[in-house]
Amino acid sequence: MIEAQNITKRFGEFKALNNVSLSVKSGELLALLGPSGSGKTTLLRIIAGLEFPDRGAGRVLFNGEDVTYNPAASRQVGFAFQHYALFRHMTVFENVAFGLRVRPAATRPLETEIRRRVIELLSLVQLDNMDKRFPTQLSGGQRQRVALARALAVQPKVLLLDEPFGALDAKVRKELRRWLRQLHKEIHITSIFVTHDQDEALEVASRVVVMNKGAIEQIGTPEEVYDRPANPFVYNFLGSVNLFHGRVHGGQVHLGNTSLPAPEHPEAQDAPAMIYVRPHEIHVANQSNGQQSLPALIRDVNPAGPLVHIELERLDDGAKFAVELTREQSRNVQLTPGSQVFVELKNLRVFSEDYSI
Amino acid sequence: MKGRNNELVFYCAPFFVQPNPYEIISINTQKPLTYCRFAVILFPLMRIAREHSPLPGFRLTLGYSVFYLSLIVLIPLGAAFLKTAGMTWGAFVEAVASPRVMASYRLTFGASLIAAVINSVFGLVVAWVLVRYRFPFKRVIDAFVDLPFALPTAVAGIALAAIYSKNGWIGHYLEMVGIKAAFSRLGVVIALTFIGLPFVVRTVQPVLEALEPELEEAAASLGANRWQTFRRVLLPPLYPSLLTGFALAFARALGEYGSVVFISGNMPMRTEITPLLIITKLEQYDYNGATAIAVVMLVFSFALLLGINLLQKWSLKEWSA
Repeated sequence: MIEAQNITKRFGEFKALNNVSLSVKSGELLALLGPSGSGKTTLLRIIAGLEFPDRGAGRVLFNGEDVTYNPAASRQVGFAFQHYALFRHMTVFENVAFGLRVRPAATRPLETEIRRRVIELLSLVQLDNMDKRFPTQLSGGQRQRVALARALAVQPKVLLLDEPFGALDAKVRKELRRWLRQLHKEIHITSIFVTHDQDEALEVASRVVVMNKGAIEQIGTPEEVYDRPANPFVYNFLGSVNLFHGRVHGGQVHLGNTSLPAPEHPEAQDAPAMIYVRPHEIHVANQSNGQQSLPALIRDVNPAGPLVHIELERLDDGAKFAVELTREQSRNVQLTPGSQVFVELKNLRVFSEDYSI
Repeated sequence: MKGRNNELVFYCAPFFVQPNPYEIISINTQKPLTYCRFAVILFPLMRIAREHSPLPGFRLTLGYSVFYLSLIVLIPLGAAFLKTAGMTWGAFVEAVASPRVMASYRLTFGASLIAAVINSVFGLVVAWVLVRYRFPFKRVIDAFVDLPFALPTAVAGIALAAIYSKNGWIGHYLEMVGIKAAFSRLGVVIALTFIGLPFVVRTVQPVLEALEPELEEAAASLGANRWQTFRRVLLPPLYPSLLTGFALAFARALGEYGSVVFISGNMPMRTEITPLLIITKLEQYDYNGATAIAVVMLVFSFALLLGINLLQKWSLKEWSA
């Protein structure tokens, strides 16, 4: 169990973390997700001991033990860097063995034991027979796996990964993502990884922590944060989303001439509202469906790929929004650019406008 | 005039190759050109140049390099050899191996080596501080490093002598603990350290800048202490540049004259450096003796630098393998 309690960290005037608390359960794979400057890497580095919180502003606990100001070397954490930080003058083998070789003589394993452990780890990260290579002779994906093996060699209490796939190209990235998830299933080590890529966080993590401006916006399983975002920021950050401006009054939201139920705001009295709808949760039809449908003009249709992407414009105020239909759905409607259609918003989230991002 | 020419041919004789295995035919006259043995080196290079290259200009730049090196370096140095070759063997040995000269070699090479080692250690520290930390007046201190390059060495020598002498600012404290800094061999080392400082700093600095701080963080998170991190992670990549800086500082110290003569006291057999001995001989119109010593220094320096270069090449290969 790794806990960070009430952590504040300033870099000069800039407040990187503002009273952040987080607890990581043993064996889970947690993602810290947020845009750059949200403080996610700083939090990770504070847990690793590569950075310290402001004096008296927060504590870091490893299994209940206060390690806030302990140096990194004494914490037994495995850290993987975005740019791998492999030791270029050492072979893959020596890189992985490093953490074992620098141990004090009393706890250092025998040479044969080191060899056995390194070979075992290299096989775990699927780099058998690569032990004699130098890091420059490996691809990016292989280098990151060496870095992971090196971090795992010290049998860390927690594995910390800072944008582990950030420097890789899209295809390798996806492969490694799946591989990491698989690896975590095998070895069950408590892991925290930082990413700004929402797909990565949602696909790999068992829990996602969404961060923004030095604070945590929401913590939840991937389903929770995606389907029930706590606030407009999370809504915006996770996946593409359409924003409509309307008014909310007594449990009903008014959007142009349509009104839709907004049961989460029963007391609202004609307050300005922001309505969030994901592009794939909008139904498009050629005929009006009465009260609930909104007239719109088709601006553009892009049918390439598994989804048909449509750009629409509201007839009443000219606001643009996007819709994604499956190919199946798109067959039931006439999608000619310039023609008028009716859209129905399903699964919308209404936030009253006084909430500021 | 004719006699002089003959002389030249005579001295150049060891360089001629008859017959030349890589005989070069003149394009214009179709006659074999007999050049010095350098042709053996040049010929393969020229063959490379004849093939079409995506980087044109090889012949022009190589030609210029050879011309320039000859004019500035090889011909003057060659002249020293020529001059020396006019001596009888006995006179040569007497000039270069007398006890006073031998003592000066020991001092010159020994003090230069010590100074270069000191500079390697402290140059690395200075480079480290300048690269890794931010502090007030960093730029000013960075600029200070180059001062030994710019300052007339005589000025440095006089200043150092004044400060380290018996009643100087630092010297009188050293005197209290029984150390005689100026007008001793220690003084020579101090002067040579001063003039050699920038070399190591300036060669190590860019390499250190290119080393990501993440390497240190990775080592720390793997449990390495500071010394292990330095020894196993930072030093190996710095080694080639450190060696280059060492070689430059060493070479510079070997030839240093201006600053040393003011601080060493110039006592024969004790604090007399070889360059000073050469000047002394010149002042006594013993040109042969002076060049003979110069030739010996030249050969030794060249051998040492070549050795260091090879070591550096080897270590570079080790690092980037």
